[in-house]
Amino acid sequence: MSILAYNGGSVVAMKGKNCVAIATDLRFGVQAQTITTDFERVFEVGPHLYIGLPGLVTDTQTVLQRLKFRIKMYEMREGRKVKPRTLMAMVQNLLYERRFGPYFVEPVIAGLDPVTKDPYICALDLIGCPCEPADFVVSGTSSESLYGMCETTWREDLEPDDLFECIGQSLINAFDRDALSGWGAVVHVIEEDKVTTRHIKSRMD
Amino acid sequence: MCSEVQSAQDYMRDPRKHYFSPYMDNGGTTVAIAGEDFVMVASDTRLSRGFNILSREQGKVFNLTPKTMLASTGCWADVLTLNKVLQARLMMYSHEHHDTMSTTAVAQLLSTMLYWRRFFPYYVSNMLVGLDESGKGVVYHYDPVGHMEKLTFSAAGASVSLIQPFLDNQVGAFNMEGVDPPKMTKELARQLIHDSFVSAAERDINTGDGIIIYTITKDGTAEEKIKLRMD
Amino acid sequence: MFLTRSEYDRGVNTFSPEGRLFQVEYAIEAIKLGSTAIGIQTSEGVVLAVEKRITSPLMIPSTIEKIVEIDKHIGCAVSGLVADSRTLVDHARVECANHWFVYNEDMKVESVAQAVSNLAIRFGDSDDDGPAMSRPFGVAMLFAGIDKTGSHLYHMDPSGTFLEFGAKAIGSGSEGAQQSLQESYHKSMTLQEALKVALTVLKQVMEEKVSGTNVEVAAVTPEKGFHRYPQNEVETVIADL
Repeated sequence: MSILAYNGGSVVAMKGKNCVAIATDLRFGVQAQTITTDFERVFEVGPHLYIGLPGLVTDTQTVLQRLKFRIKMYEMREGRKVKPRTLMAMVQNLLYERRFGPYFVEPVIAGLDPVTKDPYICALDLIGCPCEPADFVVSGTSSESLYGMCETTWREDLEPDDLFECIGQSLINAFDRDALSGWGAVVHVIEEDKVTTRHIKSRMD
Repeated sequence: MCSEVQSAQDYMRDPRKHYFSPYMDNGGTTVAIAGEDFVMVASDTRLSRGFNILSREQGKVFNLTPKTMLASTGCWADVLTLNKVLQARLMMYSHEHHDTMSTTAVAQLLSTMLYWRRFFPYYVSNMLVGLDESGKGVVYHYDPVGHMEKLTFSAAGASVSLIQPFLDNQVGAFNMEGVDPPKMTKELARQLIHDSFVSAAERDINTGDGIIIYTITKDGTAEEKIKLRMD
Repeated sequence: MFLTRSEYDRGVNTFSPEGRLFQVEYAIEAIKLGSTAIGIQTSEGVVLAVEKRITSPLMIPSTIEKIVEIDKHIGCAVSGLVADSRTLVDHARVECANHWFVYNEDMKVESVAQAVSNLAIRFGDSDDDGPAMSRPFGVAMLFAGIDKTGSHLYHMDPSGTFLEFGAKAIGSGSEGAQQSLQESYHKSMTLQEALKVALTVLKQVMEEKVSGTNVEVAAVTPEKGFHRYPQNEVETVIADL
């Protein structure tokens, strides 16, 4: 089995009307054995800016640390916060530096542009090839299930509450059919004036 | 001249192994939803081999009895052979017992037939659908070696992982507090099957081209064809 | 008699010039030496009753078993060479179990009769499993059961011929018993009536005085499947005759 699926875990992000949502499951396991059920793999890395790092957890942590370092360096040098697309470029660069010995993470970025307030979502593969679609991005061991769910349930211009329902149902029903993801979920709905974080209970088997 | 030189050296080369794989994945997706007095089963119409499309109009649902149909995907050669053997067994049963087989009997027979090949299995994902003895719609889902599960809705084949969570949610009403599963009507079943295939065709290259939906009721079987994206 | 049958009654699969298989006919004759067995089919179920010949006061009557269970929904009464019947009963049981295994449904009574018949007429065959049997089975059987098509009573003789009956008697008293059954049988009989008729007819044809120990009674009903009647219940019915 791929090393990307060693620890399990999935992340999904969706665009809504003036808002974006990003959601993750909470399982951390070693192959079929579940170790903890409170492992959040989505991290806040700026105002209105989140990154999810599903994949090999040791690389999740390393990439996050190195990314935080680069973000701080950027903020000090530039005297401003990073924009979502800038973060994408940084992640892309960070991952491609290891083109032939990659970090086994496939990041998902979700945020609002600090200037234009435009919703932004993006997914990258493990060597930093980005994908910026208009609807949703998925990553992790449940990605196939998530594609099926999101493709049927996602609609354009969803309001924040509807977007929460859409992303929540998509993630939970998707990871319930995946043995390597699940055991609860966390959803962040990012709006211009607030970020709402909700913990969702789901079946624990 | 060059080839002569090559062949002269053939016997001097290291021995080489050649492999034959008896199995092939020809894609294809099937979905089935049962109601109180009907059952609906559908397949896409694409037959593929890797990145090649072998056919854009190959349905994967077979008629077994007036009340029973079989939806099979996987290795197409195995699908055809399994179907032929099953048809023969059905014929033998009707001769021996002067009766067409009930859906439950076919369901058990299929499980038994698949398990007989436990160590050289038919590489096929099967769903058997039909009306049971009381006229109720039923869906049986199988693994390639005959594990059988009786359900009211299911997907199988290439896009199973895309479609099954959607059916769990929309037909089974999983993960929704205070929401009962909807009463299944033919209209709703048709809509859900259509949506399932449209999304699967969007993301899975092994699914597409068209859908054939069969509806089994006590009055007979109805067929409907719908177009899907062909890329 | 010896003149007409000489030479043609040795081989089990040799026809006489008149087109008869004498060994089969002799086997059918053997049934007429057996104890009487009766089956009556009603819409509520099927009754089987057989006579037990207690030839010695030292014999334990309960060890005579001429009614057997084939499956939970089928019973069988035998008459003739009971030892031969064991092979056929085993075959019937295996067929029923296999049918359940393959199709997850109860085997039809007719199909069981067909399956046993297939074995019964194999006496002339030899194949990979071994040489041919030396003779036909010297036993007649009554299959009583309930399946998805209702309640049924089938009779099979050593020739493998099987036919469905409303009521049927086999064994030594069968001629008289069959006559009596024809007079008292009707389609709208209840199970209780059938039980009474069966024992009345047995009483008529048995040499011994009928009692709770020298008859064996069983029935197949939709509710209870195959079940035997305990001695005290049989005695209650006999007392009413």
